[in-house]
Parts: sequence; structure tokens; C-alpha cells
Amino acid sequence: MTTTPAIDIVGTKKSGRPIGLLLVAAPVLLVCWMVIWPIISAIARTVWLPNEGSGRSFSLETYAFFFSDQYSINNLTVTLWTTGVTALLLLLICLPIALYLRFAKGRLAAYVQGLAIFPMFVPSIILSYAVIRVLGPNGTVDLLLNSVGLPHIRSPYLTPWGPVIGLVWDNIPLTVLILLSGLGNVSNQSIEAARDVGAGRFALLWHIILPRISNSILVAVSFTVLGIFSAFTLPYVLGPAAPEMMGPFMQRTFRDLNDPTNAITQAVIAFAFCIVFGLFYVRSVAKNRAP
Amino acid sequence: MSVLDIKNVTKSFSTTKAVDDFTLTVGDGELVCLLGPSGSGKSTLLRMIGGFETPTSGVITIDGEDVTRVPPEKRPTGMVFQSHALWTHMNVFKNLAFGLKLRGLPADEIKRRVEAVLELVGLGGYGHRQTTQLSGGQQQRVALARSLVLEPKILLLDEPFASLDQHLRERLREEVRDIQQRLKITTLFVTHGQDEALALADRIVVMRDGRTEQAARPDVVYREPATPFVAGFIGTMNLVDGTVANGRFAHSGFTVPLPVGDGAATLAVRPEALEIVPASGAGMAKIHRVTDYGTHAIVDIELPGGVRLKSMTREARDWSAGQSIDLKPRAFAAYRDNAAIHRSN
Repeated sequence: MTTTPAIDIVGTKKSGRPIGLLLVAAPVLLVCWMVIWPIISAIARTVWLPNEGSGRSFSLETYAFFFSDQYSINNLTVTLWTTGVTALLLLLICLPIALYLRFAKGRLAAYVQGLAIFPMFVPSIILSYAVIRVLGPNGTVDLLLNSVGLPHIRSPYLTPWGPVIGLVWDNIPLTVLILLSGLGNVSNQSIEAARDVGAGRFALLWHIILPRISNSILVAVSFTVLGIFSAFTLPYVLGPAAPEMMGPFMQRTFRDLNDPTNAITQAVIAFAFCIVFGLFYVRSVAKNRAP
Repeated sequence: MSVLDIKNVTKSFSTTKAVDDFTLTVGDGELVCLLGPSGSGKSTLLRMIGGFETPTSGVITIDGEDVTRVPPEKRPTGMVFQSHALWTHMNVFKNLAFGLKLRGLPADEIKRRVEAVLELVGLGGYGHRQTTQLSGGQQQRVALARSLVLEPKILLLDEPFASLDQHLRERLREEVRDIQQRLKITTLFVTHGQDEALALADRIVVMRDGRTEQAARPDVVYREPATPFVAGFIGTMNLVDGTVANGRFAHSGFTVPLPVGDGAATLAVRPEALEIVPASGAGMAKIHRVTDYGTHAIVDIELPGGVRLKSMTREARDWSAGQSIDLKPRAFAAYRDNAAIHRSN
């Protein structure tokens, strides 16, 4: 029997090397064109401004304006507040759901999982109107309270809590799925071993489960933060007019005020916050992949 | 004095009974092996003793106290799992100290006890190591130490060496036996390896379909198996179904004197007790294959009906494939209706 060498698709041989590089070249070029270049271009456009003459020169004027303008700072603050509160609420809501789904058996757990994932299939705009119809003035909750003679609720609609409720609802599926995948790494036997040495429910959660899924929590929080910073529809429809979140703020600065340079500055500042969490995520992935 | 009493315990999963009306008493310092094939209910029984499963009916008492519905964290038992189940986010010391910390022991007492038990399992000075840096055998020793450090009344081992290679398994087996005898700790050991059970146990409980087939000392289980199942499960056993008529057992030309009443019977002969001699006439059987293992040889024999038997002999060169032989069982047992009806020793 004769043997023929396998085709060297990864290009370890000198002659095959260009094929391997060509395979990764297309996506790398696409990322450079669609992601890296717009970032560089945006940063350049905010620091390389037209000067009093006819040319352009380096200036941090737009950033100085952003951080000296109380309205911009209020918008950034409300965005950070919404992000923090939403991330916290998501963890408080999703961790018990994920724990239940991980350890419960039977049909009920399958229905709960279906229900938890359901928001993923509802577009934000429909969710926004659903929140208005339920929690808005004269919404379902108001009507129900009124029918039993109770006073109106203070509707979260058009307050900072409006986007928080919508964003929590919208982000539940992804957060549950990420936490659930993390909990999949916690073996039943390691939990039983902890119970065997005397760990109650709280000790089990605190000393065994949470340390094992800390990575997943970090990933879930990173994804939430990235999603909330770039959220537009929910804050636009459900949030207050002022202060407003960075998404609607950028859109209004760009279109209504026709001020692209300041809109891009706001985008770069939002990006700077996101990249911190992006780096957390990348670090977490790299740590997991390390041999 | 008995430490563990299991009375009429049954565990059902939907329609199947994993453990069926099981009763066992384990004495202080005794090492009992629960032995049986997969699905015989031995692990379920161990998990019920550990508190990880609740019996459908029956009572489990430890030192006279009913623990049937007591959760694992409140039982005086320590379990070593098949996959060692170490907490990989803690180092060896923290794995061992965790249970002691939960009990609120002072730090210096924890340190002393952890170091002592690490010495006991031969891992002195390994406290600072990460569990992922240890070999499979070392990880299993840490798992054993983690249970021992809490000084449980009963140590439960659920096939702890199943994932290790043969050589390591034998070494750890001896170490576990040494430690168990030194600490005089009552131990239940689940295994499906008969050699493990024979080497370790003070008493073997052979299980099948959730019930006890036989509970006895290892030598008794080996020499006097109570049922054909035990006979076939422990060691190598030749089992031949035949009929008894006028005091002789017969199966396709193979006959043996058997002083029991007429009827169907199963003859059980160990290979080392089945002597073969060159046929004087037509012969009872033919040799199918001879395998030489150096210290001994195994002769595969085929009866005219197609049933295969094994005989252990000293010399391989005395025998060859195709040779006609007669069979002379030196010691055998006979079973009828799942019970022994005759033993010749």
C-alpha cells in the first residue's frame, strides 16, 4: 500500500503559507475597514479640528466642551447610572433563574427556560410599546389598580427607570444563557462534595458556585454594558427628554443640532467606556483559552 | 456494635426500583464492599447513606440515630466521588480546610489537622499546590484526605479508582486499606471490580437488581457463592446448564456424579478445579485453544453442544487444539432455582 501525504491546509510548509494567510486575510481586512478604520477616523476627526486659518490642527476642544458642559455630563451620568442599575438588576434577576434552570429537572424548568429566552425574539420597538401599554399612564397596571379602587402608580415611563425596565427585560435572555453556560462547568459532584463537607445553600453559592462562574458573570456584565451604552430605541422611546442617554443624545446632536463633530466626540467617549469592558471580556476569553 | 443499619430500604425512580427492600448492618471499623454490575443499585444505595438520595421507603440509622431524611451536610458521613470532585478554584490546603472552616474551627487547629491528614495520605507539603497541577492519583488522595480531615463516622467511597490505571489503582487500594485499618473507620466501598472487593473487604455484599445476592467474607463469596449469579460474577466460573437423573449430572456427554434429586441443575466449576485428562474413549469434549501465560496455561474447551469451558493447568505443552479430552471436576457446586443444592470440596 502506498501513502500520500495529507494536504497541508494550514500551510506549515513554506510553499503553502500564502494560502493560510489568504484565508484569514479577507476577514482581517473587513474588520480593519469596517471597525478599526472608523475608530481611527472618528478619533482623528475629534482631535484634528479646523483652525482659524484654512487648515486643521490638533485640539482637544470638543472633549473640553463635553466635560465642561453640565448637560453632556448629566447625560453621561444618567447613562452610567442606567448601565450600573441595569447590570445589577440583571444579575439579581438572572442568577436565580440560571441557578434554577441548572439544578431543576422536569418540564417546568423547560417552560421557565422558554419564558426566559422569549424576550430575545421580541423587537425593541414592540417591547417599548408593550412597556408603555402596561406601565404607562392609563396602562394595564393603572386600570387594574383603578378597578379595585387603588390610586394610580407613578409611571416609570419617561423617567430614567423606563429604559432600565426595558433594558433589563431585553437583556434577560443573553444574561441567562451566559450564566447558564458558566454553571454548566460546575459539576454536580463538586456541589455534592461541598454539601458532604457541610456546606449549606448559602456557603455553596458563595464558596463553590460563584467563584466558578465569576468569569461568566464578568462576560455577562461586559455584554450588558456594551449593549446598554449602544442602546437607542428603548432609551429614546421610554426615557426622559433630559437628561437623556448617550444613544439618543448622539442622534440628536448629529441630526437635530447638525453638529457631527460633537456627536462623534460623544461616540468616542462612549467607546472609551465600552472598551474597558471589552478588554475585560477579551482578557476573560484569553484566560479561558490559555492552556 | 453496629454503626450503620439499613432496614428494608427501597428507592424507586419512576417505575424502576434501583434499590429493592435492602437490609444491611455494618459493624464499627468494618470495611464493606458493595459489589455488582452497572445498574445493580450499589451507587444509589451509597448515595442514600450519604444523604444525596432519599429512600422511597425504609430506614437508615447511623449510631442508632435515624438519618433517613437528614441532608448530607448534617450527616456524619464523608464521601469520595468517582471523579474526585475537587474544587479547582482552591488549592489543596483550601480544599481540605473548607469543611473545617464551615465548622468554625480556629485557624491553627485547621492548619494542624490539614497538615496531619496530608501526611497520612502521603501528600505532606502539597498544601499550596493547585489541584490542577496534581496527577490523577494525587487528586484522588486529596479527595480522600478531604473526607478524612472531618473525621466522619462512616467513609463512603464511590468507585474512587475507576478513572485510574491498573497499577495506580492497586497501589491506592493498598493505601486505602492501610489508612482504614489505622484509623479504624467504618467504610463502605462501591466497586464493580471483583478483584478490588476481594483484596479490600472485610465483607462483600454482592448486589443485583437492587437486592443482595450474597453478603459474606471475601473467601466465602469466592469459594461458596450462594447463587449462580454470584458464582459467575466473582472470579472466572464455568457454568453449565444440564439435567440430573439417577444421581448424575449430564450435559451433552459431560457427566459428573451429583447426589441430588432429578431435575434441571446448573453446575459451577472454577477453571483451577476443572482437571482435564486425555480421553480414554470418544472423549467428553475437545480442546479449542491453549493460551500460555507463563506461570499457568488456560485451556479453552468446547463441549459437543457448543458450550465453552475454561481449565487452568500448569503446562501448556501437554495440550493442543483439537485434542479429545475427559473432564474431571475436583470441586464444584450445583444450583437449582437460584440456590445452591450441592457443594463438593
